[in-house]
Amino acid sequence: MSRPTESGAANRPDAPHGFSGMRGGRHHRGPVVKPKDWKRTLRQLWSYFGNEKGLLALVFFIVLADSLIGLAGPYLIGVAIDTMRGGQGSVDFNGLQIALIALAASYVTVGVLTFAQGWILAGVSQRVVKRLRRTLFAKAQKLPLKFFDTRPHGDLMSRLTNDIDNVNVSVAQALVQVMSGSISILGALAMMIYLSPLLTLAAFITVPPVIWLTRTIASQTRVLFKEQQARLGALNSHVEETISGIHVVKAFNREEKVIEDFAEINRQLRDVGIKAQVRSGFLMPIMNVISNLGFAAIAFFGAWLAIRGLVTVGVIASFLSYSRLFVRPLNELANMFNMLQSGIAGAERVFEVLEEEEEPADRPHAVPLRRPKGHVVFNKVDFSYRQDVPILRQISFEVPAGSSIALVGPTGAGKTTIVNLLTRFYDVTGGAIFIDGKDIRDYTMDSLRRTFGVVLQDTYLFSGTIKENIRYGKPDATDEEVRRAAMLANADPFIRRLPKGYDTELAENGGNLSQGQRQLIAIARVFLADPPILILDEATSSIDTRTELQIQEALLAAMRGRTTFIIAHRLNTIREADRILVIERGEIAEQGSHAELMARRGAYYQMYMNQFRNVI
Amino acid sequence: MGIFRPYVRKYGKLFMLAVFFLTIEAVADLTLPTIMAHMVDDGALTGDMGVVVRLGGWMLLVTGIGLGAAVFRNLISSQVSHRFGADLRLDLFRKIQSLPFVSIDKFERPSLMTRMTNDVTQVQNFVNGMMRIFVKSPLLCIGSIIMAVNLNPHLSVVLLVVIPLVAVLIALNMKYGFPLFSKVQKALDRINLTAREFLSGVRVVKAFNRSVREMEKFDAANDEYQRRALRASRVMAVFSPSVMLMVNFGIVAIIWMGGWRVNAGEMQVGHIMAFIQYMTQILQSLFMISHVFVMFVRAKASAERIIEVLREEDSMAKAHPAAAGGDTGGRACSETGGVPAGVPECVPGGSVSANAAGFRSSGGRRRGDAAKIEFDRVSFSYEGVSGAPVLRDISFSCRPGETIGIIGPTGSGKSTLVSLIPRFYDVSEGAIRIDGVDVRAMDPRLLREKIAFVPQQSVLFTGTIESNLRWGKEDASMEEMARAARIAQAEEFILRFPEKFRTWLGKGGVNLSGGQKQRLSIARALIRQPEILILDDCTSAVDTATEKRIKEGLKKHTRNITCLIIAQRLTSVMDADRIIVLDDGRIAGIGRHEELLRTCRTYQEIYRSQIGEGVAADVQAN
Repeated sequence: MSRPTESGAANRPDAPHGFSGMRGGRHHRGPVVKPKDWKRTLRQLWSYFGNEKGLLALVFFIVLADSLIGLAGPYLIGVAIDTMRGGQGSVDFNGLQIALIALAASYVTVGVLTFAQGWILAGVSQRVVKRLRRTLFAKAQKLPLKFFDTRPHGDLMSRLTNDIDNVNVSVAQALVQVMSGSISILGALAMMIYLSPLLTLAAFITVPPVIWLTRTIASQTRVLFKEQQARLGALNSHVEETISGIHVVKAFNREEKVIEDFAEINRQLRDVGIKAQVRSGFLMPIMNVISNLGFAAIAFFGAWLAIRGLVTVGVIASFLSYSRLFVRPLNELANMFNMLQSGIAGAERVFEVLEEEEEPADRPHAVPLRRPKGHVVFNKVDFSYRQDVPILRQISFEVPAGSSIALVGPTGAGKTTIVNLLTRFYDVTGGAIFIDGKDIRDYTMDSLRRTFGVVLQDTYLFSGTIKENIRYGKPDATDEEVRRAAMLANADPFIRRLPKGYDTELAENGGNLSQGQRQLIAIARVFLADPPILILDEATSSIDTRTELQIQEALLAAMRGRTTFIIAHRLNTIREADRILVIERGEIAEQGSHAELMARRGAYYQMYMNQFRNVI
Repeated sequence: MGIFRPYVRKYGKLFMLAVFFLTIEAVADLTLPTIMAHMVDDGALTGDMGVVVRLGGWMLLVTGIGLGAAVFRNLISSQVSHRFGADLRLDLFRKIQSLPFVSIDKFERPSLMTRMTNDVTQVQNFVNGMMRIFVKSPLLCIGSIIMAVNLNPHLSVVLLVVIPLVAVLIALNMKYGFPLFSKVQKALDRINLTAREFLSGVRVVKAFNRSVREMEKFDAANDEYQRRALRASRVMAVFSPSVMLMVNFGIVAIIWMGGWRVNAGEMQVGHIMAFIQYMTQILQSLFMISHVFVMFVRAKASAERIIEVLREEDSMAKAHPAAAGGDTGGRACSETGGVPAGVPECVPGGSVSANAAGFRSSGGRRRGDAAKIEFDRVSFSYEGVSGAPVLRDISFSCRPGETIGIIGPTGSGKSTLVSLIPRFYDVSEGAIRIDGVDVRAMDPRLLREKIAFVPQQSVLFTGTIESNLRWGKEDASMEEMARAARIAQAEEFILRFPEKFRTWLGKGGVNLSGGQKQRLSIARALIRQPEILILDDCTSAVDTATEKRIKEGLKKHTRNITCLIIAQRLTSVMDADRIIVLDDGRIAGIGRHEELLRTCRTYQEIYRSQIGEGVAADVQAN
């Protein structure tokens, strides 16, 4: 029995006889994702089995034994029934006893084997999947930022979750069921032929229609389900848009129009849904009828043959069971195969990520950056994300240790890119960056990143307590240190006003705090880490004025004795910087101190006056 | 569940018809083993071929009837479940679209989306399942018991032992096994949370060198998941074979007892075979019923969540009784289009006519002219009169065509203040009047027609740029669109796209930059040619030079629009006709830039933090 999922319950074949309910299979609705390269993926997947390979082989052996012994059941029932053939007073109790003991023994064996197989396989599949999931996440840690910037998060998420789940299902269920199903079919066929070739023919009249029907209906419904899925997607995205943007819908009086659109998509979904369901809904009752017909055929021809003395009544009883053993897996095999296919396709998508290029490893002679002073030099740095579109060209400047530099310029000029290069989120495509006289690529990545404290435009907090979030950059900090950092960042007052203070649990991305409060915590986080080089990327953009004043003071204090990079739109915040770089279209347009640049009356002067002329 | 009554009325008969056909199906399934028993006993064993042929015919007939019933049932159930689902979905969507913001805030938008999608599907699936196996299983279960007992009461003793045992096993599994799966789900959610957080915060993780810690967190979640999943699947590994074994021992017992009875001449072989069939049928149905139970619990929870939304009262009546004039007056007034000169006749009520008199002196006003907005001692709290006030005692009025800047610290109530004008929320105390008419006396639709609103977060919809702009005005001409785009500084980048105004925008305008989205959203508002334009800090992603051009354009082209501009940046509102400084829900000062700089402390603070003394010196020196 699979998990109690809705699909498992709603689509379970409702065949009236036999044990089909006891080894349920999940019907896969919607399109089946096919793997691109079966063999390669299977080989890769196989390598994840590691020590489990032996266990897996054992499972296969058990499944084999299980299925074969399972075939004995119906035969023994037939034998038992035949002992009563003589009717009143002439039952062969000796034979009956032997047959029933054998039957009971076979049932017990099958039970134990099924249990053993399920127990072992659960362990194997869970361990393999866990290993795979862990490998994937560990891989994600090593991927360069470029990977994350160029790929939708949803796609990665689904690889980490759905795809790996598909692998799990296919390893744990589909594999075994395909195997035991095949054995059952072949075994049942062999037994039937052995018992009575003639009656086998009769039982077989149901097979061609079963295969034909499954094929035609399945191919028709596949198209329809695909269409249904597409319509459902359209409906969901319409719902998402219009509900998350409902204030705009209302502001523009578009409720009626939006409902009209919805009704149209909804109608289309309904119509294709009805079609798909009618078609696929026929499958089960018709299968049911066919298996009933098979039942009738066996009973009828069996009786006919029995009267002629060609078979015994026990054979009829055995046949009824074997035909079930034969037809049921035939129905499910196609589904199992699809599941297996989705699983392999899922594994393939996982392996795709695993094959992505990682962040460059440290150079062979890389040394750790010890007690950095923070002297930074950009020497003729070029950079482009894609080959044909240069983002930065020939950027050269120097920041003496302990001084501050501000990067100014219109959005998209390349300010943030400069910071991304310095922290080696990306590597330069030309030129070089030096810290304390050495190319940053000659330092170990770990020690280099430790040198920076970054307060980003869009702060990110993790779920957990406030304390844990402040400690993010220095996990071993004491509570006292955490509090001091929060006080420096002016976060302490609001944190203490919270009912649980520093132990307040944050929702995902600090959803229960205001944007300003989140930023304060992010600043406290940097204060605690106490890095030699500080990077402030629009750090105070969403803090209210009063807090901003206090933060500015705190940041000024933090900047003292530290090399600081400041990116800001608001020109007033960068007036105090020792040096200002004006970046335009990926190049340095001007550089100098505020006073120098104002005196030059160039681009900076223009921007500055534009922003402030009419203030005064 | 009374809320489902209309659907029951609409589809109840068809539903019952489907259940009727389902019953026929079940009966057909139930009769076959009995017929078979007679075929073996009276035909095969006695050698009477006539009986075999006759009963074979019966079997075909019964099978045929079963098929017919199944086909009809399938046609009906597919129609009923999908039509019901579609109706429910549409009604729910309509309801959500009509909900006032108070309710939308209460439910939260993501939750409303889940109710629209998952919950409706759950309920629909359940209804569909009812017309398929959910009802059939109990029927088969009970029917099989009756048939089996009828066939041979003595052998039923086996049923008496096996069925309760299996039932206990299933019950145990439902009690202890199924909860394991919800625990597995929770562990999976934690893995997903960790992964999602890592993906969203990847910059922070890398900047702080915290990969190792992230890995530990993930490992912990992964281990937990593995442990729970393993436990759940191992419970299943014990459960399934033991049920099988129980059933199979039942079969052994039946054959054994059957052998004795056959020997005693009290029973025939065919009956034993039929009995085995019935027993497996019963057990299969029991399984199914346990699933139905789970499905029912799930569908019930979903149904309750849907009902909760459908039951939500529309607390914002079209015309608020608190507003002067009541329902009819307000509506009659607004239906004449805009607010005609004859306001006092249209809306009787003390304070209104006083204001309207003043309005009249400014001469008759046509629709499309700028409107006069008046806040009269407005207080507001999101939780109603009793809650903590977000706005307190706000009074001001702006003249037609005036541009008002609104500035203040975050959380001071700026966005709340403007959202009261189009009646996204209704005031808790006081009144807001447009051209002398209390907004609560106006139909929100007609009120909102006069207003164009540019939200803080630009919201665009899947479709072309053109279709997005048409939100402002359905029948806008190409020239109108180009003009609005030009003023909003959007024309340039639109024309750079190969397909210009027909450029397709992905969901939420994903293929545009933040600044481009904001400019489109301004253009969409302008195209409407509103009487009142509200800009809620909507140029934050636009650079200063472009913002300046937008504002110059606005000034030139919107002389007869009353404008409210919220901003974080002081420079964005400085040149407004008047500036309102909000602080902690109160007005801290109203006036022109120079006045406020002299008189208002909050304004001075903002000025100092954003501009500072140094700048003043610079600018003056240059």
